[in-house]
Amino acid sequence: MYTFEEKLARRSLLKKLSAASLAALGTGAPRAWANADEVVHPAPKADSCILIWLAGGMAAPDTFDPKRYYPFEKGLEVDKILSTFPAIDTAVDHIKITKGMENIAKVMDRGTLIRSAVQPDLGHILHSRHQFHWHTGYVPPLTVAAPHLGAWMAKVLGPKNPVIPPFINIGQRLEGVGEKEELKAFTTGGFFGTEYGPMNLPYPEDAVRSVQPPEGMEPGRFANRYKHYRKLIDKNPNREWMSDFQQESMLRSMDAAHRLLQSKEKNAFDLTLEPEESKKIYDTGRFGRGCLLARRLVEEGARFVEVTTEYIPFIHWDTHENGHTTVDRLKKEIDLPVSQLILDLEKRGLLDRTLVIIASEFSRDMMIEGVPGSNAKDQSRARAEKLGEMKHYGLHRHFTGGTSVAMFGGGVKEGFLYGKTAGERPLVAVENPVSVEDLHATIYTAMGISPKTAFNVEKRPFYATKDGHGKPVMDIFA
Amino acid sequence: MSMNSFRTILILLALSGTCSPLVGADFAHEVVPILKEHCTECHGGDKAKGGFSLNTRSLFLEDDAAEPGNAAKSYFLELIEETDPEVQMPPEKKPRVPAEQIAVLKKWVDEGLAWEAGFSFGAKTWEPPLEPVKVTLPPALSGRDHPVDRILDQTLPTPPQPASDAAFLRRVTLDAIGLLPEPEELEAFLADTDPEKRTRKIDELLANDIAYADHWLTTWNDLLRNDYTGTGFITKGRTQITSWLYAALRENMPYDQFVRELISPTPDSAGFINGIKWRGDVNASQTCDIQFAQNISQVFLGINMKCASCHDSFIDRWKLSEAYNLAAIFSEQPLELNRCDKPTGEMATPKWIFPSQGDVDPAAPKAERLKQLAGLMTHPDNGRFTRTVVNRIWERLMGRGIVHPVDSMDSQPWNEDLLDYLAVRFAEDGHDLRKFIRLVMTSNAYQSQCEILDQEAGEDYTWSGPGAKRMTAEQFLDAIWQITGTHPEKPDANVDRALPDEDLVKTTTESVFEAAPVSAKWIWHEGETDKKSWLRKTVKLDKKPVAARLMATCDNYFTLRINGEDVAESKVWMNPVYIDISKWLKQGTNTFSVVAGMTGGASGFIGEILIHDGEKQTVISSDKTWQARRAKGEWAAAKELHPHGAGPWGKLLKPQFLASADLKKYPAGLTPPVRAALVKNDFLMRSLGRPHRDQVVTTRPSGLTTLQAIDLANGDILSAYLSKGAEKLMREKSGYDLGEWLYRFALSRTPTDDEKQIISEVLGDGSDPRAVEDLMWLVFMQPEFQMIR
Repeated sequence: MYTFEEKLARRSLLKKLSAASLAALGTGAPRAWANADEVVHPAPKADSCILIWLAGGMAAPDTFDPKRYYPFEKGLEVDKILSTFPAIDTAVDHIKITKGMENIAKVMDRGTLIRSAVQPDLGHILHSRHQFHWHTGYVPPLTVAAPHLGAWMAKVLGPKNPVIPPFINIGQRLEGVGEKEELKAFTTGGFFGTEYGPMNLPYPEDAVRSVQPPEGMEPGRFANRYKHYRKLIDKNPNREWMSDFQQESMLRSMDAAHRLLQSKEKNAFDLTLEPEESKKIYDTGRFGRGCLLARRLVEEGARFVEVTTEYIPFIHWDTHENGHTTVDRLKKEIDLPVSQLILDLEKRGLLDRTLVIIASEFSRDMMIEGVPGSNAKDQSRARAEKLGEMKHYGLHRHFTGGTSVAMFGGGVKEGFLYGKTAGERPLVAVENPVSVEDLHATIYTAMGISPKTAFNVEKRPFYATKDGHGKPVMDIFA
Repeated sequence: MSMNSFRTILILLALSGTCSPLVGADFAHEVVPILKEHCTECHGGDKAKGGFSLNTRSLFLEDDAAEPGNAAKSYFLELIEETDPEVQMPPEKKPRVPAEQIAVLKKWVDEGLAWEAGFSFGAKTWEPPLEPVKVTLPPALSGRDHPVDRILDQTLPTPPQPASDAAFLRRVTLDAIGLLPEPEELEAFLADTDPEKRTRKIDELLANDIAYADHWLTTWNDLLRNDYTGTGFITKGRTQITSWLYAALRENMPYDQFVRELISPTPDSAGFINGIKWRGDVNASQTCDIQFAQNISQVFLGINMKCASCHDSFIDRWKLSEAYNLAAIFSEQPLELNRCDKPTGEMATPKWIFPSQGDVDPAAPKAERLKQLAGLMTHPDNGRFTRTVVNRIWERLMGRGIVHPVDSMDSQPWNEDLLDYLAVRFAEDGHDLRKFIRLVMTSNAYQSQCEILDQEAGEDYTWSGPGAKRMTAEQFLDAIWQITGTHPEKPDANVDRALPDEDLVKTTTESVFEAAPVSAKWIWHEGETDKKSWLRKTVKLDKKPVAARLMATCDNYFTLRINGEDVAESKVWMNPVYIDISKWLKQGTNTFSVVAGMTGGASGFIGEILIHDGEKQTVISSDKTWQARRAKGEWAAAKELHPHGAGPWGKLLKPQFLASADLKKYPAGLTPPVRAALVKNDFLMRSLGRPHRDQVVTTRPSGLTTLQAIDLANGDILSAYLSKGAEKLMREKSGYDLGEWLYRFALSRTPTDDEKQIISEVLGDGSDPRAVEDLMWLVFMQPEFQMIR
């Protein structure tokens, strides 16, 4: 090795040379080794993200992708029917959606509709497994606990407003519902740890309780309790432990928690503070109130909020029988709150920097389970070749070949249609298919996160999109 | 605190996660290949041209070759970019390092020159030995002749100060059985002048079979990925090993036998190797066969086969073929190697990863292969097997593994002699886990004051005392339940916690009854077994009894009514119900009616009733004189399945206890209060770090996060315990100085005068239960409470 003096001499020499050698190297942006492109986070187009999750499998032909329609009629051959709702016009000439979504139709000029999202055939077309895939980008089982989409945003971007938890999950109960363990498996910060996990608010109307003193404790007592806590910490006789890093971080977290609980931002969680008129528009049920809560949280600086219609096997969008009647009801639940959310964000000047996504784990069809050629088991409960009863009228089978995803704000094109499904069965994506990985890459890109972002866990890299391979659909950005 | 500094804290929190970000510079996949291609031929392994070796991070940093966090000031990069052929690196005749690779290196340096724990280019510098290594103990210094001290004192001439008796008692009780020492226990211990009192205490704690099993179940459930709820159960793709595991811990099954029963299992212990089977198609690296290879390697050997499940590992010696050959021992079918989820056409051969110590017969059937594997894994020559487990236990007790992290047993321990000695000693002591725990606990090292670290110890860790540990979620809840008396009534875990007969006798009191052999039979309805059976018996009493008791149980559950009133129920067949039923009986006709249920496997109800009319004792037993019917069936004489003691159940009922027990002591049956490890995960425990056991978990998070802190500040579950507890304490501890009592229980010390003053400010005149709730919260939230020091 060189002596110290030699090193010094060489350093000064190198300094002189540095300009020249840099030029000689001709480096632009640094590139990673091997065939991977350099991980550079794209400039964010949005600062917040709201995921509206229609849990259970939203049938595209009955919502955002109208096809040949027949009204219910006894004796009608089932294979003739593609949609059970007629098409309606929207604010965009070349985009039609289905009856019952008249208010959403009015805001279609604020966003992009993707009709070609596709999901893999995972052998069994199971909700919780597809939901896991959709929310984490990975198909279970896995050797490590995969973080939720929201946890990635919390980890990479951090909170937008430091007192509002960066990942908030509205509307899904994790106890007392079917497949709850499977739901918990992806509703998590995964290997990032609980700091990046969700704040769960299953009942929007009770959300404020999560940021209030415990039930029955008046604010004065709560504040006092914490004041006494600080006093006791100060007077703790074991002074030498104060420098202990574990103890220190514990106290920091207690402080951060009490800060949120005593902040003005906590009012965002309180739906009773919303003007009556506005509350009425949103109040179609728990989901509608969830949309209102999401808006209030994003206004106050939430990073990622998911609002779900709630997954419960065979309930809500999991329409295995009586599909038409059920979806008719569900549309009443979502139509006003979703459109109002877009309008409210716009009115407040937030839509440009907020990405709103409407999605579901897969679509549905009346006749085909999975995709053509799939060996998936038929999960329909109301099956018939010819319509006999109303309960047979609906899209009752899981379909992964062509699903609709709507995106608003956050830098996406306005009034834009991307992708296309076939006009006849099978209704698969025939133009620009978008995989879960690519859809995630698109969402991450809008949020300013490279799809190749990786973190090391158990000696291996774990990527935001599977193996870092997700490619954003740049066409949908303005 | 200003908004700005608050923001800083959150950012700091965000950065202090457990995993390091890799924005472009992934050490294993990117940096290592570059250094191998261009540098280590001359500066790695046993070569150190110019005196420079980059085998390890510290060698790399010697002589200022690089400055972590500052690529611009890193000398090796200057040399790589140098154009002067005299001084450039690599030397003139070798290819230059391409620009894009330099960029990776710069990024890597700028990000802090992250290094894989234990990784070295000098594969020869340290190789984990396979065989056990016998260590000659160094001489004792200052009379400290415990083997652990003899080894550690060599490295630390001035050993840490001994912990106080109170600190020791709290630490050892939490570490051995997961509970707080009760105030009376603390008082007795402090007053005890016997110089051997610490050793006596350790022995007493470790002899408490049930409390020991209740506590260590948490660790082993994490390690063996066992839980009562979770993914996979819904489709029967997973089975529990709870009953087997609990019994193994309770009876202190030798660890080698324990592992043999897991690898070559009975149906009760098969849940671990069978993994979790998901419906549908699964990535090739996560089939049950591969889960098997990964899990047994990780848990029993501290070897990470997860890399090698997809491709030959970049950072250690394990190869794709080794992972698959190990998996093939378990696989029912011939197993094709998949590289990164793509089939290779190559077939795996069932093969052990240390063939020098023998191998499985690839032609043998699966059960036989597993038996052979169990033998190889636990073979006395496999030193890695014993080193791995003693390291795990050491970490639980001392806060940090001798190899750390505990799953990277390929890396060098900070004290090789210590690890080797403990591993050999463990084997010599019959693979006895409790004996090993005792060995560590009886050392001066364990009984010293905890070290205080202002940041997490890094690779340069050296021993300077035991580390503080954060309570697990289970310890936290157990402690709160202990203090507030709010234990749940029923466990979710199907475990046998009935006290042994000799313990029962200790708790008994005099009564009018006399014990007699059980004459009750296991009964059910005649004919085909259904999931439910209705049973009844009518008894005519000449007068109202002066005393009456009942003991009963049912496989799997029952409810019992007397004269239409709900009297008893049980959901755990192993834990019979013992209750006083005097108040429900009357003169004249009395009807006992039972709804008995079966959830799978065997079915049967058994019960015995003692009635005393002041003169004589009458026994009513379940037998064919009872009536029985199936759902919607006709009443008929019950069918006697087995006498007590026969069938699959053994002698469950304890007549001597029924006759004389103080039935108030354990109202839910003959078992100590339910512990947190025995109930399903809930929001509070999840929030405190109890994992969703889909994967093997070997360490819990040590930090408290903001979301957890919010749960602790206002969560419903904790609030409910506090308010129930406050009522109870005010009722039961009215004569006490509550603050002092609480401090002694929770922290094993009395409050100082300053603290007393704050406590009395909080408590006021002591008449407001809300003040008591607040005081408990104040104590439970202290880091001093949540840490084990």
